[in-house]
Amino acid sequence: MAEILLSEAEKAFIHHGVQDDLRCDGRTRLDYRPIILETGLVSNASGSSRLRLANSDVLVGVKVELASPLSEKPLEGRLEFFVDCSANATPEFEGRGGEDLANEICRFLQMSYMSGDTINLAELSVLTGQQCWVLYVDILILECGGNLYDTVSLAVKSALYTTQIPSIKVATMDGDQPELELSEDPYDTKRLNTQNVPCLVTLMKIGNHYLVDPTPEEECCSSSGVVVAVSGTKKITAVRKIGSGSLHPESLVSMLKTASEVGTVVNKILMTKLLEEERAGKTQKVGFMR
Amino acid sequence: MPVDSRRLQGPESAFSYTLLKKKDANAEESVLSADLQKMLIGSNQVRKDKRKPTDARPLFLRTGIISQAKGSAYIEQGNTKLVCGVYGPREVQKKSDFRLNGQLFCEFKFAPFSCQKRRSHQQDNEELVLSGLLREALEAAVCLHHFPKAQVEVNIMVIENDGSPLAAALTCASLALASASIPMYDLVIGTAVRQLPKLLLLDPTKEEEWQPKLNHDENNSNLTVGFMPSMQQICAYVHEGVSNPEELEQMLKLVTEYCLKVQPVVQLCLKETIEKMLANEGENKDAE
Repeated sequence: MAEILLSEAEKAFIHHGVQDDLRCDGRTRLDYRPIILETGLVSNASGSSRLRLANSDVLVGVKVELASPLSEKPLEGRLEFFVDCSANATPEFEGRGGEDLANEICRFLQMSYMSGDTINLAELSVLTGQQCWVLYVDILILECGGNLYDTVSLAVKSALYTTQIPSIKVATMDGDQPELELSEDPYDTKRLNTQNVPCLVTLMKIGNHYLVDPTPEEECCSSSGVVVAVSGTKKITAVRKIGSGSLHPESLVSMLKTASEVGTVVNKILMTKLLEEERAGKTQKVGFMR
Repeated sequence: MPVDSRRLQGPESAFSYTLLKKKDANAEESVLSADLQKMLIGSNQVRKDKRKPTDARPLFLRTGIISQAKGSAYIEQGNTKLVCGVYGPREVQKKSDFRLNGQLFCEFKFAPFSCQKRRSHQQDNEELVLSGLLREALEAAVCLHHFPKAQVEVNIMVIENDGSPLAAALTCASLALASASIPMYDLVIGTAVRQLPKLLLLDPTKEEEWQPKLNHDENNSNLTVGFMPSMQQICAYVHEGVSNPEELEQMLKLVTEYCLKVQPVVQLCLKETIEKMLANEGENKDAE
């Protein structure tokens, strides 16, 4: 994150605020900042979304392509994540500075989507062992305002929700070349079931309490935290401790329980909003003009 | 992405021959209990290597195996073997990275022949992330303020990967750091546990580790924890799979209990290292 320099007095102020359940912007410890979400922005992508969590801005584009499945998993399609920390987001990302963070986010997303309970990859298979759909999920971090993991995961979930995969009418093998025929109707598409796609919840520890959705200043005050991937069914699919500090086992356990509850609520609200947007139909896209 | 121009790359179509092996009949069954049955054999529920579910593999530790390094350690946990070398504290290589506290640079590398599937010579994404995890864990244990403006390098090389490499790396790295006389708050002991629907397996082998399977992952997961026993603090926590928070709590309890049991073993190894060092110094003094 951007180089935030805080004086000892400012750090003490944040600590005391957290103790009293009143953060610098008036939130309680378990409150999120305002989220602005819009899907279907990028016309060339099969699915896209833009999510703005206060000052963190993420744009996700999903492209579906046909490829041969992995030899170990002939019955499944796959998801490939790529995170690009744009140099616009923060001066630290200039050149190859953002690579480490991008790699970590990418890898953690892969870990949280690995389990078969999150997304049914068998739906992406076209011809067993020969052709399958590969979803390339490209995440562009436009602005970094703290809590990147959560922002990215919500944006990815929204983009996957709106991804339209073309229907294949005929799929046969012509000798050793697969022969596929797409349906003529460009609107004849199928969508994935993203009910159980995980949302990431970041909890940072400050003093004896932990916070949801930390701002960059709060991240600077904290030495350790956890990122938890919570799927739609209140299950935890991946956990990682972040930061250079350490945690007591009891604090870790209570953080995990809180994360699972918070994650479930966030998931539910996100799905409700996505459904609302879908029902509202093809209204004027606001895009980046706002 | 940096391309390795010095080595001849194999043809793109090369793949592991194990994919052509005839599939085991049990693997076709799509029942969760098949996993359990594969892991445990016999009426007294022992694992394939005759261990009980809460038994870890025998541990072998040795320090001082890299003569040129400031500190080094070798660990064997069953068939998982790895080496750690520690260099430093020395001047920060890139002058622009000057910092008032010391810095830790970790490199985690699998030897190309260590896993069933051949690894590349250069660090891939998984190894980069493991390096980051190791660094964050060790930063919690090392007294960084004792060597300002300096860096300590920790290099891990996995010679054979038979499950839980990160756990073994955590233990090995903290032993190597301690034998290099780097000031630390406490030793880090790493442990891994595999969660099955009604059972927990401590220190899983590669076969026992969780691999994602379609529709059968409920209550299956892998957990690796780095624990500092004297300070009762967790410095590394990596979980993948599908679990409830309550199950995670149980797994954590099992892991912390085991780490407390292993702590005296690691301390004994360090004690022997110091005794050897003192004996050598004594001999040198006599020779002069």
